[in-house]
Amino acid sequence: MSDAASKLAPTGRLRVAVYAVDLLRRTALSRVVAEAGHIVVGAQDAADVVLADGDCLPGEARPVVTLGGADYDLPGVLSRDAGASQIDAAIRAVSAGLIVRLPDGMDAGFGAMRETGGHALLTPREIEVLATLAEGMTNKAIARRLNISLHTVKFHVESLFRKLGARTRTEAVAKASERRRYETITL
Amino acid sequence: MTDQADLLAQFSNALATRAEAAKNAIVAIRLAHERHITGMVWRSEIVVVSEQSLPRKDDFELIAAGGSVLTAKIAGRDPGTNIAILRLAESIASPSIAAGEAHTGAVALAIGADGTGGASARLGLVNLAGAEWHSSRGGLIDRRIVLDLRLARREEGGPVFDAAGACLGMSTFGPRGQVIVIPTATIERIVPLLLKDGRIARGWLGVALQAVAVPDALRETADQSSGLMVMSVVQDGPAAQAGIVAGDIILSVDGTSTHRFRKIARYFGPDSIGRKADLRLIRSGTVITVQTTIAERHAA
Repeated sequence: MSDAASKLAPTGRLRVAVYAVDLLRRTALSRVVAEAGHIVVGAQDAADVVLADGDCLPGEARPVVTLGGADYDLPGVLSRDAGASQIDAAIRAVSAGLIVRLPDGMDAGFGAMRETGGHALLTPREIEVLATLAEGMTNKAIARRLNISLHTVKFHVESLFRKLGARTRTEAVAKASERRRYETITL
Repeated sequence: MTDQADLLAQFSNALATRAEAAKNAIVAIRLAHERHITGMVWRSEIVVVSEQSLPRKDDFELIAAGGSVLTAKIAGRDPGTNIAILRLAESIASPSIAAGEAHTGAVALAIGADGTGGASARLGLVNLAGAEWHSSRGGLIDRRIVLDLRLARREEGGPVFDAAGACLGMSTFGPRGQVIVIPTATIERIVPLLLKDGRIARGWLGVALQAVAVPDALRETADQSSGLMVMSVVQDGPAAQAGIVAGDIILSVDGTSTHRFRKIARYFGPDSIGRKADLRLIRSGTVITVQTTIAERHAA
């Protein structure tokens, strides 16, 4: 978005730069921000607030709301699994110069490495379908995007719901995002 | 007046004496917005802190016993064991620390810094003293010690003492606000390494991986039901140089199956750096082997 256009943003709508390494998280968080009525801008664009999944890049000068980041000196500190209403409230508060904290001991903390054997892992195809669900796509659009039949899409979506124990698409995306914390490793 | 023969009064007096003495074992580490966290005076010039709560910066201001303000520089941090160390600009008096052994059901006294040079105290039980465990950040913690007490944010990072006055370790927050202890044995093991290098070396391929189910059609060829799918590749990292691309499913590293996270995390210890490793992986429906050289992970 150009600077001229962003200046015309109506009051109450904030320009929010969403920073997340994980593409699925970035998509999901951008959606939360947009649905709360704000404008998602590029990571380097002028922004009122940065919403960072975990730690943001060092030297960030703009006000930051972190989700599960380790830096408690940032103005906004929420847990990794904060809901849409908490995220909206936090970015508004931080852009107004307030600081946002969770009550003591509410966030993630230092925990053990979990093994993934306990539940059915997703297949690579199911992960692809999940990414399209996070974008809010319909079954028809998913079929076109992944070049598979509508029947196959329904099959994968049902399998996702079963493996994740979800009843709606939004719930599936949220549960997958939560599970992903324990199913990813960087080497 | 307290009756010295009364057991409860004796107990209470003993605790108050311990809390008073512990003032010299702690410092407050100043954060922004008038807040602070606690640090343990480990040696006369070294303070141990909870890594997860320490801001990512180099210079800190501390408040020592009696309220004197000191400056300190970061000397090392290890997210794997949640231990960071600060080096003080000037030495201070340090209490001798005797390592204590945690026993389930034993009394635990957790000390925090009040931010003005005094101590705050919390009393509870060792809720659980268990075996060694691996953190989600890849470090090995010598024992699982969970406390049955509450802790304020500002008290995190302080020492936890047993009834004999020995130090069980450093308090920190586990999942869902649970108060856990990083054992003295772990601190004793990690601090010398941090003093030497500023970090704990770990092997690095430059990939983010997600555990996935191997698709049914490939299960027989792969001879494994799960693997780690490459979600992203760091530009110019060892994996990128070996031609690893997003979507590859890594089945094993030098014969170590990627089925168990703990095993694979252990494989990438300090001694893995520089080692050539064969990655067995699935790409476009076929199992292939790619050789990479493990590099050293840079600070996050």
